[in-house]
Amino acid sequence: MQEKIKTLISNAKNALKSAANMSDLNSVKVAFLGKSGELTSVLRGMKDVPNDKKPLIGKLVNEARDAIQSFIQEKERILIAKETAEKLEKEKIDVTFKGTKKELGSLHPCTLVIEEILDIFTNLGFTVKHGPEVETDFYNFQALNIPKDHPAREMQDTFYITEDLLLRTHTSPVQVRTMQSVKPPIRVVNPGKVYRPDDDATHSPMFQQIEGLVVDEGITMCDLKGILEEFAKRLFNDPNAKTRLRPSFFPFTEPSVEVDVTCSMCHGKGCRLCKGTGWIEVLGAGIVNPKVLENSGIDPEKYSGFAFGLGIERIAMIKYGIPDMRMLFENDIRFLKQFK
Amino acid sequence: MKVSLNWLRDFVDIDVTEDELCARLVSCGFEVEEVIRLADNCKRVVVGRIEGLEKHPDADKLQICRINVGDEVIQIVTGANNIKVGDLIPVALDNSYLPTGTKIKKGKLRGVESNGMLCSGEELKLTEADYQGAGEYGILILREDYPLGMDINEVFGNNDVVLDIGVTANRPDCNSVIGIAREVATLLKKPLKMPKMTYKVNSSDISEYVTVDVKATDLCPRYMASVVKNIKIGDSPKYIQNRLKAVGLRPINNIVDITNYVLIEMGQPMHSFDRDRLCGSKIVVRRADEGEKIVTLDNKEHTLDSSMLVIADSEKPQCVAGVMGGLGSGISEETNTVVFESAKFMRDNIRRTSRKLNLRSDSSFRFERGIDIATQEYGMRRALALIDECGCGEIVCGTIDVLSASLEKKTVTTTFEKIDSILGIKVPETVVVDILNSLSIETEVKDGVITAVAPLFREDIENANDLAEEIIRLYGYDHINCTLIDKGKQTLGGKPEDVKDVDRIRNILVANGMSETLTYSFTSPKIFDILTIKEDSGLRNTVKLLNPLGEDLSVMRTTLAYSIMNTMRSNIVKSVKCGRFFEIANVYLPKDMPVSEQPDEIRHVVMGVFGRDEDFYSMKGIVENILDKFGIVDAEYEYTSLEWLHSGRGADIKVGNDILGYVGEVHPTVLNNLGIKEKLYIADINIETLGAVKNTQYVFESIPKYPSVERDIAVLVKESVSAKNIIKTVKTAGGNLLKSVDIFDVYRGGQVAKGMKSVAISLEFRLPDRTLTEEEVNQKINKILKRLEVDLEATLR
Repeated sequence: MQEKIKTLISNAKNALKSAANMSDLNSVKVAFLGKSGELTSVLRGMKDVPNDKKPLIGKLVNEARDAIQSFIQEKERILIAKETAEKLEKEKIDVTFKGTKKELGSLHPCTLVIEEILDIFTNLGFTVKHGPEVETDFYNFQALNIPKDHPAREMQDTFYITEDLLLRTHTSPVQVRTMQSVKPPIRVVNPGKVYRPDDDATHSPMFQQIEGLVVDEGITMCDLKGILEEFAKRLFNDPNAKTRLRPSFFPFTEPSVEVDVTCSMCHGKGCRLCKGTGWIEVLGAGIVNPKVLENSGIDPEKYSGFAFGLGIERIAMIKYGIPDMRMLFENDIRFLKQFK
Repeated sequence: MKVSLNWLRDFVDIDVTEDELCARLVSCGFEVEEVIRLADNCKRVVVGRIEGLEKHPDADKLQICRINVGDEVIQIVTGANNIKVGDLIPVALDNSYLPTGTKIKKGKLRGVESNGMLCSGEELKLTEADYQGAGEYGILILREDYPLGMDINEVFGNNDVVLDIGVTANRPDCNSVIGIAREVATLLKKPLKMPKMTYKVNSSDISEYVTVDVKATDLCPRYMASVVKNIKIGDSPKYIQNRLKAVGLRPINNIVDITNYVLIEMGQPMHSFDRDRLCGSKIVVRRADEGEKIVTLDNKEHTLDSSMLVIADSEKPQCVAGVMGGLGSGISEETNTVVFESAKFMRDNIRRTSRKLNLRSDSSFRFERGIDIATQEYGMRRALALIDECGCGEIVCGTIDVLSASLEKKTVTTTFEKIDSILGIKVPETVVVDILNSLSIETEVKDGVITAVAPLFREDIENANDLAEEIIRLYGYDHINCTLIDKGKQTLGGKPEDVKDVDRIRNILVANGMSETLTYSFTSPKIFDILTIKEDSGLRNTVKLLNPLGEDLSVMRTTLAYSIMNTMRSNIVKSVKCGRFFEIANVYLPKDMPVSEQPDEIRHVVMGVFGRDEDFYSMKGIVENILDKFGIVDAEYEYTSLEWLHSGRGADIKVGNDILGYVGEVHPTVLNNLGIKEKLYIADINIETLGAVKNTQYVFESIPKYPSVERDIAVLVKESVSAKNIIKTVKTAGGNLLKSVDIFDVYRGGQVAKGMKSVAISLEFRLPDRTLTEEEVNQKINKILKRLEVDLEATLR
């Protein structure tokens, strides 16, 4: 009997060895463990075993069943793994083929720049504000300390609509409109289109600016430099970027400065972009002229402020290496799609 | 402002290099736009002596010269025949560069080596006035003895360096050599040397020659006149000619050159009249009579009006004050007695006159920027000193000076504390005082209070901010630290809702594969015809520019339709096969005609698509995406009457009573007008209206607990039955059980009869509190089908 059981186990082992697939395995299962399987027939023979041997043989039979079952399970695992592998192999595809997708659109490079700048300033506590593009002479000039027939008007040729209406030549009128409607503390940025009658490789009759204005108690030139340096670091993603102030003139700020920023291409070493100087001119800025505060209904004895402005197209050209300003207005899809 | 360094050196000892000087000027607010080295026009041209001459073996007209150029003797082949052995001549060596722009390299002429070129006066851009003999044909023979090999620029004094300096509008005083010199003297801490301002006069008195009557003192606060008689018109001295040429002025004769010299040097425009051609020997400064005429020096006749100031004699205008002189009283070869004018005219008036007459001059340029009240005297004295120095005539004793303005200087009172509070740093008090004094701003300090008296030439200094700027530009901006509004209050910052709306639209459109474009806000009035817009349409009421860059850019757009079509057209003509575009911009709608007040500026988004895969529905899908994002569920599409859209494939988008925009295929006539064959699909949404009807607030709705039952049905209906009607009918019949209905397919042809279409509808039924039974759903579907049959003659397919 014991011999028989031993043989049974080894037969099962051999049968399993040659089972090539799940159906083979099933046959083996039925042959050994099924109702009319070999193990069942051994059990049937138990009635012939002397009673004193029954516990031992019973134990052996149970052990044999467990063994065969575990052999089958083991084999099953192997076969499943094998069949899965075959299935996967059959389902293999070319993963280098392109995906199914909707093509992305693109934002205009000027929008990219504006959004980046607005992000920086909104994070610094500035509110975004728009103003009209068709402006009055008062807001575009007079309130900004540029009286009629003042030589400073020469700096900005103007498109006129009537004697008193014009296309704004800069975003600065929004400064005045803001100060008239909001009390300090003021921190605003005003992006928008502006217009001047110039048209060549570096000038467009329509272009975009962002104006910034801070009015509060105790605002100084150092605040101006600090905020703009912070801005430059973030815009050009250069924690070591520095700013350099150069004296300049704008009628609505006094003192007025041009703000140079460490060249974003060479980081100050000198290159083609910065013409070897290590600096690129990015902003015009200054302390708000007390006359402008007064024109806007803000007490210049109590409050002071700074303002700055920059041209979007120029930044876009610097940031993305666009050689000709006119490309920004041609709307060639092969150009636009570069800014996905 | 172009400034010659040689000229500047008359005023200041410059002991730094040109580069250093430029850097210092930039640091104190004077941008040096260009450094022009006159010698750069002429390189490697030297003095040479002809040592030998022989005939070229193979060319009759050529000679072979041996020329000593100092350190060597070189051979040059020349075609000239006015030279002989021993002559000193200008020699352009190998790799030299001539003022004409020509480069000279060595080569062979008819097989004989030639190592350069002998130069004529013309090739060196010299005239008789520059050097006697320079105007003659042939090689320029130098008359004086010069060391061999000497740079020819040295010979002709062509060694000046000219700085082109950007002068800001607040510093009109620096549109002069003396103005720049003052700044340089301050920068270099050197004294300012004044040029000769004295002259001899003869015994006659000016009152015998001319009288001055200033009637319009409001436009002419100061008028000075002097007389010079027995004028000898001739060339001015060479240094004057060279300096004028260096800054771009053409020498004419001694009188004109001297007035121009004073203009550049002192910043004072001068004018000279032929006294004998002034009727009544009178100078009257008055407003022109309406319609009065004058022929100016450029030989053009101008009609004047009463806003314009003229310098007249007893009869008629002889000069448009500050702008240009008249032909009638100008200096000529016959002039014997000259009246010199040195005046101040009001800048606003000059600016207006100059623009009205479209007449500009170096004088009007300076008057427009402003000339202070003291400069007339300096100008006059300097001009007379030069007349004396050059011996061009006898200066009559006395100068007429009609002065109606005050010569009092402006005083600014402030404190050190105030200056520091503007700059944000502590500037040492001694530094403040030193800087102001060095700028000729007389400064007194008492108990921390600064009393600063600005010189007359600094009309720009009016308040503490102006003083702060003067101090920091000379103290140095590198003293300014970086602070982050430490004393200011915290502000929240961010984008207002209307700006966020624009961002939302952009995100949707980019996700839909659209590229953002940028076009001009002004357009051509012709676009209304291209778009076939009716003559009486309000869209034709535009904001017009008075001074457009051209007719094509002359009106502010009232629709973005043309812009997006034109963008697509410009890509189509470049053989682009398909594209999706959008632009977010304002339209400008006048509130009144003719326009007298600011128009409404309304922000729109315009979209356009073209290409094989595009149709009305692909365009509409993008619109629907936007509406989805803005939570608009009840938009209606009605056939549009917009002229530029296909009447059967274009719709107005309505939300309640508001028209939000439109979507449609561009009308074939418009496509034809645009000259393209491709179909364009466009859409436009008024962002302001969208913002008013939007529902962007997210509100949580509980997830259904019980499953819904989905069923599809297909019905046959006439072509004319719209999807909107079918859905409305289904909804009415479906009642509360029906959660959603959608038409997912429309089929024509095959077994479907002509004029009919098969519409596949998907239905979703659900109850909130229990699972629906099959029976309930079937009943509902039957009801829906019945209703479709009754209302729309639909039959189940």
